[in-house]
Amino acid sequence: MPGEGEASGAESSTKAPPADKAELDRAFTDLYRTHLRDVYSYAYYKVGNHHDAEDLTEQAFLQAYRHFERARRESNGRPLRPWLIRIAHNLASNYYRDRARRPEANIEAVEPPAHPHETERVVEGREELREVIARLDDLPDDRREALIMRFALGMDNREIARALGRSDGATKVLIHRAIKQLEELMSDE
Amino acid sequence: MSEQAGELKLERLLADALRPVEPPESLATRVETTLSSIAQQAAAELSNWADELSEGEREALRDPLNWVRPVAAVAVGGAAAAALVLVEARRRRRPHGVRATVERRIRDLT
Repeated sequence: MPGEGEASGAESSTKAPPADKAELDRAFTDLYRTHLRDVYSYAYYKVGNHHDAEDLTEQAFLQAYRHFERARRESNGRPLRPWLIRIAHNLASNYYRDRARRPEANIEAVEPPAHPHETERVVEGREELREVIARLDDLPDDRREALIMRFALGMDNREIARALGRSDGATKVLIHRAIKQLEELMSDE
Repeated sequence: MSEQAGELKLERLLADALRPVEPPESLATRVETTLSSIAQQAAAELSNWADELSEGEREALRDPLNWVRPVAAVAVGGAAAAALVLVEARRRRRPHGVRATVERRIRDLT
């Protein structure tokens, strides 16, 4: 990781990078460690399989690393998670556009997580979860993505707005409509 | 079930269905290795570039033979600018207008 493994070696070297570069690398290490799970979760729910999610996550962090200095300067101290998720979002869009294909496994292939409940409730609960996941796939892209950001990543409206490039108000409406539509889809079943 | 209760239930279901997914450990290693190698390459290139500048370009700057060209360029540029200023000044001193042109033509004919 930049600023880590090579940090001790760099100190003894005459060709050490400037101090601000080392500080930048350390800050990126923190960002990476804090948000690896977020970016991976988003990528996974977006593409529906671990293999592509890993590729997307790696690409997202490489791209973020290239533009980190500017992003930090322009963020004015605001959290950089929406920026990271936006990078992952754009990469996922390009990923399938460039290959002229849809995800090999969409969100329907995502298995609901195991629950620490008693047996009967587990069976009933897992069915409901499967249904929710399946119906999520019927939502328009922006609504589904907003729900992934809200529930899988725990992002608030402001963060989601920044990640999607919308206003806070428009995002609030988007999420409300997404839940409403999902509710209707589920009741149609 | 009321509308609000239904919405709350759905939100709970969504929170259960869309749990964060732990990345495999191999991914963390993979990304860290790639980022480290990029950072090291960038640092090495920066050092090489600095070395090249200090040896090659500094030596060239110390050699007086290399000063002739910039000095000559400044002199030629200065002379050209002065000539342009003179031409423009003479042009402005000449009378303009139809009357001046007619007078000049008459003077030329006589």
